[in-house]
Amino acid sequence: MELNANAFGRNARKALHDKTLQEALGRTTGRFLAHRDAAIAAFPEFEATRERASRIKQDALDHLDAYLARFIAEAEQRGAIVHVARDAAQAREIAARIARDEGVTLAVKSKSMASEEISFNEALQGAGVTVVESDLGEFIIQLAGEAPSHIIAPAVHKTREEISRLFERHLGEPRTDSIPELVGMARRHLRAKFLSAGMGVSGGNFLVADTGSVVLVTNEGNGRMGTILPRVHLAVVGIEKIIPRMADLPTFLRLLPRSASGQAISSYVSIVTGTRRAGDPEGPERVHLLLLDCGRSAILEGKYRAILKCVRCAACLNVCPVYQSVGGHAYGWVYSGPIGAVLTPLLVGLPEAGPLPDASTLCGACADVCPVKIPLPDFLLELRSDAREQGWKTPGEIAAMKGYAGVMKRAGLLEAIERIAGVLGQFFTKGKGISGLPYPFSGWTERRDFPAPAARPFRKLWKIKRGVTR
Amino acid sequence: MRAEGPIPVSLFFTCLADAFSPGVCIATVEVLERFGATVRVPLSQTCCGQPAFNSGNRKEARAMARKFLRSFPDDGYIVTPSGSCAAMVKHGYPVLFRDEPPMLSRARAVGERIHELSQFLVDVLGVTDPKSDFSGKVTYHDSCHLRRGLGVVEAPRKLLRAVPGVEFVEMEESDRCCGFGGVFSVKYPQISCRMTERKVERILATGASYVTSGDLGCLLSIGGLISRVGYPVKPIHLAEILAGGTGRPSSFAADAASGDARPPGTVRGAGGR
Repeated sequence: MELNANAFGRNARKALHDKTLQEALGRTTGRFLAHRDAAIAAFPEFEATRERASRIKQDALDHLDAYLARFIAEAEQRGAIVHVARDAAQAREIAARIARDEGVTLAVKSKSMASEEISFNEALQGAGVTVVESDLGEFIIQLAGEAPSHIIAPAVHKTREEISRLFERHLGEPRTDSIPELVGMARRHLRAKFLSAGMGVSGGNFLVADTGSVVLVTNEGNGRMGTILPRVHLAVVGIEKIIPRMADLPTFLRLLPRSASGQAISSYVSIVTGTRRAGDPEGPERVHLLLLDCGRSAILEGKYRAILKCVRCAACLNVCPVYQSVGGHAYGWVYSGPIGAVLTPLLVGLPEAGPLPDASTLCGACADVCPVKIPLPDFLLELRSDAREQGWKTPGEIAAMKGYAGVMKRAGLLEAIERIAGVLGQFFTKGKGISGLPYPFSGWTERRDFPAPAARPFRKLWKIKRGVTR
Repeated sequence: MRAEGPIPVSLFFTCLADAFSPGVCIATVEVLERFGATVRVPLSQTCCGQPAFNSGNRKEARAMARKFLRSFPDDGYIVTPSGSCAAMVKHGYPVLFRDEPPMLSRARAVGERIHELSQFLVDVLGVTDPKSDFSGKVTYHDSCHLRRGLGVVEAPRKLLRAVPGVEFVEMEESDRCCGFGGVFSVKYPQISCRMTERKVERILATGASYVTSGDLGCLLSIGGLISRVGYPVKPIHLAEILAGGTGRPSSFAADAASGDARPPGTVRGAGGR
């Protein structure tokens, strides 16, 4: 997926004026949040489960090498072929080679954020393979030629009219307002693809080290068809998705759907372990696991390790007032909302995603809902500090901060400035608010007034009132 | 209620209140004195450094934090009419000084002593009756740093409910960010405004005459929008309600001498037209 994170400000302004998007965002995030709150209220063990999940993930990350080695050994023993890609280019190369070697011309794919990271579809198309997205949301945006805008609801920004128009144009279906009819159209179209595809591509919510299994948590059943019907199954998964034991899985299955959509459990949980064995009624003859490092090892070594605990539930997006205002496309890459604001700069580098860590009021709502307790606001603050230390702050901001600190170091100087500002402010505004501040504060007063400084700051009043001078 | 002997309190009045709403600082002193505090005001204090810290400029933030730690005496409570500035001292300073053990232990000790006003009144002094004479229908906005940063949710509500003339009404999404966010509102003013608009919608839906909060920053943003549009609701800091409203000029009114006689519809708010 094309990287466009540095255009956050421009993207956000566009999103704020997109009426359809604004309506869809309010509707969808509100629904997810309400369901989440209800599901968690009805699950008294939530806090304890959350604590356990956080600890399991921390352990998995602290010993990732060992768990990864175990996972690979177990998966290979069960017939899977494991590939590890150090970066996106290598991952694309491996994916294309697999498709060519397996003689695939059509692949059906169920949602995988990791595959978006490496521009998987483009890689396969380059190898002459047609890739059809099979998640309803992904299918819709593939027809529209767009990128996902939400982790679990990629087409959240589309109305049913837009979808109907897309289906008319690309599938030759009649126009309809009926959601069940639209779903039926997509289903008929996709069934044919599932039956003729040579390869099913999936992501993976969890990699289970002690069994070598890939776990898929889905609601549409396409993940199951994609991993069972085609002769070859390829799973594209980040290495951080490891959990140590199958016995750990229930902990995560309790948290993920509740945090994501407010469901107690998702419609489907598929546990894919190796290739079809003798006597199995179904399953792929060949299983390839493409494990992505793509910057994760580097994150693992540093102070942001805990970001890799993320289970991609999207609760932080839904609750984030910034995400709710601008939607996912504004963030300019695969991951959006608070998790994207941290993860994207870590994966692609601050120079490529500089505006994202600033795209937060640090309100902390994201940390409140995170099922694995990632300290997202702390990480945003760290990234802003890294930006300064690595020289990515603008000279204007640095000068402003130096000026601010220079004044604030001296109470007397501050008071003098406050008094001058107070006199000027009262004179020019007649004691009323300021409706137009100069750049860079002009945006502030576009739709809000800024208060005029008080005629006499408190420090001065206090000296007069109490007769004290220090 | 704790009452034996004077309670030593140093006022951290905050740079924002100092410059824009001195009435909030005066109200804070009055309330503290009403409940037996001996209030000292260290006049060498300036800013806690939050704008620098939150924008990643830690070198400047550290200089501010050092200055703050020097400005306050080594004993007694530190009380401030700002959840966000208290949270900065309590949680931000330990981050700033994580590699400087002597400063770190000083920062932690000061962090133990600092309280936001409503938190101090309820949790430390055990105040149940604010002895205020304010009257009006009031809704309360949870500032993010007071609620999530300091975990103060009930204290301001308890106090508001206990003021005889106050009709307290909860707004929907009271804990949702107002969009101010300090540097955020300068870097992304359009997103900030959108968030403030949603907050003001929720405030108006309550039909309250006043919206109050424990943070001046939020009230600047909320009040700025109210003032621009001329909505019939008045922003007022919690300290001012607790100090007592009858005949008291709001610090949001720029001309402190002209009193509080205007009906809410012509609020001058954090500004005015």
